[in-house]
Amino acid sequence: MTNKQDYYTLLGLMRNASAEDIREAYFKAARRLHPDKNTAPGETEIFLDVHEAYEVLSNPKKRAKYDSTLLPEKPADIPLDQRLLFSRESLVRLTEPQLIYVLMEFSHPANSQAAPAPSLNLCLVLDRSTSMRGANMDVVKATAIQIMRKMKPQDIFSVVAFSDKAEEIIPASPSTELSKLEARIHMLQPSGGTEIFSGLEMGYNEILRNVHHAQVNHIILLTDGRTYGDEDKCINLAHRATEQGVGISGLGIGSEWNDNFLDDLASCTGGSSMYISRPQDIQKNLLDKFNSLGSAYAEETRLDFKIPEGIELRYAFRLQPEAGVLSFNSPMMLGPIVRENNLRILMEFVVQPESTLQEAITLLDGKITVSLMDEPSPARPMPICLIRPVTDEARTEIPSLEIVEALTRLKLYRLQEQARLEVTAGDYDQASEHLNRLATHLLAQGERGLARTALLEAEHIQQDKSFSQQGQKEIKYGTRALLTSGRSTED
Amino acid sequence: MIICPNCQHKEMSGAIYCSECGAQLIDMTITTHKIFTAETRQAFKDSTGQVQPIPPPESLQSWISLNMIESGQILPLADRTEFTLGRSAEAQPIVPDVDLTPYNAYANGVSRLHAVLKLVQDQIIIMDLGSSNGTYLNGTRLIPYVEMPVVHGDVIYLGKLKMQLLIE
Repeated sequence: MTNKQDYYTLLGLMRNASAEDIREAYFKAARRLHPDKNTAPGETEIFLDVHEAYEVLSNPKKRAKYDSTLLPEKPADIPLDQRLLFSRESLVRLTEPQLIYVLMEFSHPANSQAAPAPSLNLCLVLDRSTSMRGANMDVVKATAIQIMRKMKPQDIFSVVAFSDKAEEIIPASPSTELSKLEARIHMLQPSGGTEIFSGLEMGYNEILRNVHHAQVNHIILLTDGRTYGDEDKCINLAHRATEQGVGISGLGIGSEWNDNFLDDLASCTGGSSMYISRPQDIQKNLLDKFNSLGSAYAEETRLDFKIPEGIELRYAFRLQPEAGVLSFNSPMMLGPIVRENNLRILMEFVVQPESTLQEAITLLDGKITVSLMDEPSPARPMPICLIRPVTDEARTEIPSLEIVEALTRLKLYRLQEQARLEVTAGDYDQASEHLNRLATHLLAQGERGLARTALLEAEHIQQDKSFSQQGQKEIKYGTRALLTSGRSTED
Repeated sequence: MIICPNCQHKEMSGAIYCSECGAQLIDMTITTHKIFTAETRQAFKDSTGQVQPIPPPESLQSWISLNMIESGQILPLADRTEFTLGRSAEAQPIVPDVDLTPYNAYANGVSRLHAVLKLVQDQIIIMDLGSSNGTYLNGTRLIPYVEMPVVHGDVIYLGKLKMQLLIE
């Protein structure tokens, strides 16, 4: 028992877990680790341990006995360093709703050793529809080959290409006989339509053959088109992938693809989505994504939480390492923890007046679980509880500078979001008003190119009652890029 | 509730930016007050080569006079340690202690509550009250709501209205 994880950690549970929690955690682990499904080396042993853990913990007598043998938890066991910032020290007893912002930061512990790069289980799912013909397809092929050459011996790599139907180009395997595999990529010819689901499903099955915890399991989807009718199937698949610890990231090329769909797909797995406007940017973006996957310290960062009545989580955004809106429901997949670039999440809560009658308000109560890359057995879950006291008198206080800075940039992204919602709702005047305001702020920050795009879109909306496909994406991903870099590239 | 000063949109208490127009709703500048020291005061005096300061009198009889340069009139100020300068306007409840309307204040861009002169211990201080056209001390525009020490002979502009301080 000394060098093994305790039963709670094994199941990703806190020590005060309820019987229901234990049952749920067991089924979840079993679904993913069952030897019939998962053939990755070492996983069957973990499955047996999990089973043993469940036998003990599900029986109240055995559990009590086991609990008495447990050593007290040491703070040093915590897998991540965390930092919490609130926009205000306390909430005020008011008769109207109020807002509070919370900034959470997670990083790998300062005392952790520099571990070697994690093993990858990576699948490229490539769109080969007719519209990819030309420069796009050529760059994609070249980059896929480049990535394959970068694979370490223990890494597993697969490629799936899809149009109306999917085709396995390189089956999931350690990279051997490179030249033969490269030739297969070279032979890819564009033709047909875009049916993302077929490609995604095949890619997912490739990944599943080798899924295990202590590595990065990831699908990179590259598309330039809109998929018709199978969005829901794709999102369902993404949820299943999440349960198995598989992330999905989307790279959209050009202006035709459905960015909301790709964002949703990526965010429910904790992955990211990107906009690529020109073929020459494909290579850089794809390689960046590949490098960021390879620098993960922990994967599958997951926040399971409950929010009490009277509190609403109105917005959740990942500021770093890759900016993007998160799902507002539990479980929230936060994506990987990357070395040198801490994970930063900003949340906005609305507190209803009836909750302020208490002495202190719990905004959110939950736990964070991660899979550490250099650690085959599960890491201990970390409790996370956001509590603020309530006072009668309002106090003037300056919110933490970091929160204000984050919001300074986030407000641009949110103005853009608002304009999009208004266009959908048919509120065209409001939408162009918001874009004009966005342009003003962008100009003030020196973002001339993006400001011009916003102004043009404001006009476009007045005339055509809609965004232009390209302008819409440029503004969205442009304002989002400002969050990570602080400045965008001007063209 | 917070009303956005820029677009009058209603925001919930605790908001940091207006969700409508993106204006900042909190004041981040509280800590920057009172940064002026004796050195800056000295620097101003040196650059303009003004006369030596004369210690202000103990009594409140008339510690300061305003020499209205355009009209050549001298306005002695007495009986108080603090005077607000500005111009009166119709239907406005607040009237400044020193009403500069007779000196063409409106045409010169003087705000209704433009600036304040204060006697604090033995120092005389001027502070701009967020006026539209600004207060200038010896040619330098003052930061609103930041106190600046003044000395005998200093020249002050309220907007374009010019006056010299005569300290007894």
